[in-house]
Amino acid sequence: MASPSFAALLVSATPISQGAEAKVYKANLTSEAPPILLKYRFQKHYRHPTLDVSLTRSRVAGEARALLKCLRSGVNVPGIRMVDAAAGALGIEWIEGKSVRHLLPGGAGEDEEAEDVQSEDVAEGEGESVDALNEYGISVETLMRLIGVEIGKMHLADIIHGDLTTSNMMLRHPTSFTSDDLEIPTELVLIDFGLSYHSTLVEDKAVDLYVLERAFSSTHPDSEPLFTSVLTAYAAQLGKEWHAISRRLDEVRLRGRKRSMVG
Amino acid sequence: MPGRIRKSPLETPERPYLALGLEGSANKFGAGIIRHSKDGSTSVLSNIRHTYITPPGEGFQPRDTALHHREWALKIIKRCIAQAGVSIQELDCICYTKGPGMGAPLQSVAIIARIISLLFDKPLVGVNHCVGHIEMGREITGAQNPVVLYVSGGNTQVIAYSRQCYRIFGETLDIAVGNCLDRFARVIDLSNDPSPGYNIEQEAKKGKRLLPLPYATKGMDVSLSGILTSTEAYTSDKRFRPDGIRKGTEDDDIITPADLCFSLQETVFAMLVEITERAMAHIGSKEVLIVGGVGCNERLQEMMGIMASERGGQVFATDERFCIDNGIMIAQAGLLAFRMGQTTPLSESTCTQRFRTDEVHVAWRA
Repeated sequence: MASPSFAALLVSATPISQGAEAKVYKANLTSEAPPILLKYRFQKHYRHPTLDVSLTRSRVAGEARALLKCLRSGVNVPGIRMVDAAAGALGIEWIEGKSVRHLLPGGAGEDEEAEDVQSEDVAEGEGESVDALNEYGISVETLMRLIGVEIGKMHLADIIHGDLTTSNMMLRHPTSFTSDDLEIPTELVLIDFGLSYHSTLVEDKAVDLYVLERAFSSTHPDSEPLFTSVLTAYAAQLGKEWHAISRRLDEVRLRGRKRSMVG
Repeated sequence: MPGRIRKSPLETPERPYLALGLEGSANKFGAGIIRHSKDGSTSVLSNIRHTYITPPGEGFQPRDTALHHREWALKIIKRCIAQAGVSIQELDCICYTKGPGMGAPLQSVAIIARIISLLFDKPLVGVNHCVGHIEMGREITGAQNPVVLYVSGGNTQVIAYSRQCYRIFGETLDIAVGNCLDRFARVIDLSNDPSPGYNIEQEAKKGKRLLPLPYATKGMDVSLSGILTSTEAYTSDKRFRPDGIRKGTEDDDIITPADLCFSLQETVFAMLVEITERAMAHIGSKEVLIVGGVGCNERLQEMMGIMASERGGQVFATDERFCIDNGIMIAQAGLLAFRMGQTTPLSESTCTQRFRTDEVHVAWRA
């Protein structure tokens, strides 16, 4: 799609949030079509312009490529609606739902809406997140299983996400989604493939899991048992490939600087 | 957690507290005396440092660095006490760097701390070097709950506070950024005086050409060793001119040391700013604090400032007195711990090369 149409689209779009990488908008390609999510990688002025242009272009193209590969392999990801790599824009399916981070203890209330939280000054956390999960009709345990299964499918397709965090996973709201499975009225969708790449290496898959493990422990305190159930589901999904990845994951955990070398 | 203000567990001091801090985890020996007054204010009474400078092309070896510290420690400490205008008997505690850092220099400083502690019967407080940087940065800049980028010769971490612990969100997977810059300075024979990083910064100001280098961010982590190798490889490129001078009027396509310094800085700093931004977006913070030796690089501060303003936030940085390793930061973090009742008994007054930031119980914060 040509740039002028993108500029027009951007004007009519409603800003949603600003992530680390991009500004996110809700937009309509045509008046009848369902809304799309527009991810606009605006120019980063702190970066050298040459570096910025090449990074932006390759990341938009890479993200679109990874999403396509995931879609073909049956991984739940948003569908692609438009790509304009030169302008740094990617239009994807709008998903009605909430990020997993908001649904887990510790994740809610520590985000962009922090100012609002202060005025209410109520103890947010477990109670609220559990209520939120009830709305989606699944337990924390099921949610962890869904995460493991989805990441497993993605890794079987040799896609490495590169930035697995609980913010980068969403649950579709049951009212906007018809599930094939009566037990689970929702679906886990992996989002934000901005740092993803293709790789068959055990190393890359293990590092991907390690990134998620670190995200879990830094965002959701006392989350070790949760991550263990993610891994269990992941292991079942991967089958015989799991053994090698598991061993490598143990190795990766020992990396990083200044770790105490006990044991 | 931004947005929620809890009461600090740290009581207002009922009397003024004084602490001596001794730092020597790398090639600087530093001593400083800090005072926490009754009105809750903090004052730096003295902050003196001596740096072990090696000839161009050489790094500092642990053994020689330890020797340097032993040679200078007493002179610096005496000068430090004289400048502060206090007597050593008035001190409440002796704080020293427990780690992380180089083994031999750490041991030298730990021995000196033990001697002073025994001579004057003062309690010891072992301090994590990284926590020292963070606490001093917070004290100087007044940043409340920032995302901290800690960049130095031995460390590269993105840190945020949560539940009495400085959690590491992202870090280098191989070498530290200061190490990367210093080693490249050695390759192109830059002086180590005042520091190789400073000379890289000056050289980079003359660079114009951005050469393609690998860009390796992995989630919130970075990998720097490959970039160093690639930058070094350019020095054997046939277009490379070590003196930066063209061989004739036709000789346009050249690579100078300044270009390499420029490209290295631009690439590496862009990666650091990117992971910091990702951590800010992840936890929803709008403040960034840069600490550590590389933190006095003005280009890094500028890039971080642009990023922060694009997010509606602000950046806090300190100057070389507090950025580069110093004794006062050890005194600050140590005194905070001391006021919470944490001391290190003589039998446990060891030091360790590996001591992660997230192993420290930050009792003094809510």
